Amino acid sequence: MIRRQHLLVPKNITMHSDSISLNLVELGHFAAHLAMIMALIQGLAPILARWLDEPRLSSLSVSASLLVFVLTTIGGATLIHAFVISNFSVEYVAQHSNTLLPMFYKVSALWGAHEGSLYLWVWILTLYTFIVTLRGRTRYPEHLPIILAVQGWLIVGFFGLILFLSSPFERLLPMFPQEGRDLNPILQDPGMVIHPPMLYLGYVGFSVPFAFAITALLTRWKSELWIGLTRRWALIAWGFLTVGIILGGWWAYYELGWGGYWAWDPVENASFMPWLLGTALIHSITVQERRQMLHAWNIFLVISAFALSLLGTFLVRSGVLSSVHAFSVDPGRGLYILAFMVVVLSVSFGIFMRQGRYQQARESINSMMSRESLFIWNNVLFTVACATVMLGTLYPLALDALTGSKITVGAPYFNAVVIPIFLFALLLMGIATQVPWRKARMEKLRSRLLWPSVVGLVTGAAMAIAYWPVHWTGPVGVALAAFVATTIFTDYGRALRQRRAQLAEPLARAAVKTVLGNRRHYGGMIVHLGILVMAIGFVGSGLFRSEITVAMKQGDVVQVGSERIRFDGVDAFSRSNYQTLEGKFTLLNSGRVVTPERRKYPVQEAPTTESGIDSTLLRDVYVVLAEAAGDHWAVHVYVNPLVSFVWNGGIIILLGLFLTLSTRRKSLKQSSPAPKPIETQ
Amino acid sequence: MERETLAIAKDLRCAVCQNQPVSESNSDLARDMRAIIREQLEAGKSRDEIVDYFVSRYGNYVLMKPPYDETGALLWLAPVLLLVVMAIGGWVFLRNRKGVDLPPVEPLSKEDRARISAAAAAENENEAQK
Repeated sequence: MIRRQHLLVPKNITMHSDSISLNLVELGHFAAHLAMIMALIQGLAPILARWLDEPRLSSLSVSASLLVFVLTTIGGATLIHAFVISNFSVEYVAQHSNTLLPMFYKVSALWGAHEGSLYLWVWILTLYTFIVTLRGRTRYPEHLPIILAVQGWLIVGFFGLILFLSSPFERLLPMFPQEGRDLNPILQDPGMVIHPPMLYLGYVGFSVPFAFAITALLTRWKSELWIGLTRRWALIAWGFLTVGIILGGWWAYYELGWGGYWAWDPVENASFMPWLLGTALIHSITVQERRQMLHAWNIFLVISAFALSLLGTFLVRSGVLSSVHAFSVDPGRGLYILAFMVVVLSVSFGIFMRQGRYQQARESINSMMSRESLFIWNNVLFTVACATVMLGTLYPLALDALTGSKITVGAPYFNAVVIPIFLFALLLMGIATQVPWRKARMEKLRSRLLWPSVVGLVTGAAMAIAYWPVHWTGPVGVALAAFVATTIFTDYGRALRQRRAQLAEPLARAAVKTVLGNRRHYGGMIVHLGILVMAIGFVGSGLFRSEITVAMKQGDVVQVGSERIRFDGVDAFSRSNYQTLEGKFTLLNSGRVVTPERRKYPVQEAPTTESGIDSTLLRDVYVVLAEAAGDHWAVHVYVNPLVSFVWNGGIIILLGLFLTLSTRRKSLKQSSPAPKPIETQ
Repeated sequence: MERETLAIAKDLRCAVCQNQPVSESNSDLARDMRAIIREQLEAGKSRDEIVDYFVSRYGNYVLMKPPYDETGALLWLAPVLLLVVMAIGGWVFLRNRKGVDLPPVEPLSKEDRARISAAAAAENENEAQK
């Protein structure tokens, strides 16, 4: 574990007094306090308005929310400024930065540790609130104050933690060090610059649907009116979370040097749980939008997804997990977040119990074979997957606390339990998109699924034969991916043919127009394709990895899989803020060179490894320099097939999401009532 | 031999690391554990014997996959039970919500088809003018 060591005896201490007369950080600190007070007003105004029977009061929360964002931004900007000018009188800067740190990482060092991460959390929360305010003033003005009040209380809760228990504004006065300790070297990586903001945009994004849902409960807001708004926010949060998680895997792959990208580490699970419920949510929310059902269930999912975001923050930030991510151990903070979570959960579920009956379904299921029914099975699978991940993550903690016996719940457990659930989900993905709302005609469904099933079975069988013996998840996964992909492409082909039968258009134009004419549908299908591409990547890199650990001296050649790799020696370099030993390896098949490094940062004792990776579409060669013994080096070499599919799948998911979100809501443009959509069957 | 060592090392946790199996860790302990696995394999011990050896030294903690016994059974049973409960819940929900079947849909008549085509063409023209 990388523990933060306190600066009790700083190395280079000088007798500086605070020479900058008006220190900007103090201004930022003050702004943050003001922001908390404003957030309190934002949270209280609608309550007071109701209590004093003075409706005009509630508009205070709207102006307060704008100020909260501005003030929080001032606070954040002064912190970044302190990093940029290396103001080591700020304890947080002194702990996590250094004059030699590249500028890029000085800025991102803000979220390099506990206090700053929490500040980023609340900053993003105020940003979302700000956007909700701007959009809501014309679109849902009468509900806006309540939405803002909910968010105001969340902001107050987080500012309480930041300002009173883990303030990034703490000063080291009157004496402060001339040089900072450094940012943890494994965080000095481009992946770490963007991964936390993306992840937090996802986590915190779920606060918006949460605020909408609580408001809907309190004001008995009609479901048709709030669910469409909520859906877009849920998609945005889900998208950021997806990108954040993939970037985290990408960072782990490049930086941690163990050849993989996902280890079912508790911290990874902490981000995966809200993702799983978010996935359930973005599907079931459509059922409510289209078929006026599942109202209460959706509110339950929204509250739970946000609660899991809080749980993720709690797990990572409280230090209860023994994990590389838990940089600080401080029970006071953990207790605070736990208490905060309990309050949020009991208040929101309390409101849900009292008011839930006013959000009720009005329609009924027509057939077990309808899209809404299949979406319910989707929800069953994703909820069970989420609960399983939660169980596996918390079980060792609970067992340890209750009985004192320590067990490990590692990757083999999660793979054994969660992968089968995902395979079922893939099967469902292929079928559900072929089934219309309300009721499917069986003979039509059968004919639609015939070819995809054949393609899937043949692909799976071919793979099983070609790679025998192989773990069963490989051929089954590939078969299902082929099945789903065929449904998507035949579906698209059918729509394209229909369009061309009606309109004399060139093929290319028709192909694009078909997609653009139904962005929501094809956006979803592209996201599904991205998932399939990732699934292929998981099968390839999970089941077909070759690895070897060997002692090599200069000139040695090693064979891993079909790759032959020659070790060409190690050179020493001195870079701006670290020393490095750079190994040179030539891949004899392609002539390309990889250069894994062992870096030594002056402030850290243990050297860090930088893996050398040669990445092509079909395989990555991944080389790690472990340690020297005489003129030999211990070297790990991995050949990881299809890893690039995982990252590319993520990009495809993102494209699909952009397409889906690029639709404007029709009702705002058209004055006439929207015509009933015609099912193209 | 190397492959077998790796396969066993994958299922053992490096006791001093954060949630890392012996196969992936660069720590000294993990290296020693890999050496022990190799030695024992060379001495002709089976996979189970080697795993038991480590469990007797470090406890169940070294198993990446929790065992199916009084401490771990819940972990394995709960997901299955939960899936069954949720599936029954889903089924009951669908049953209870199931209303009347829709009346059969009349196939589109020729006039309807013509109207739809006309509407589609008009829409397209609108788009083109934009």
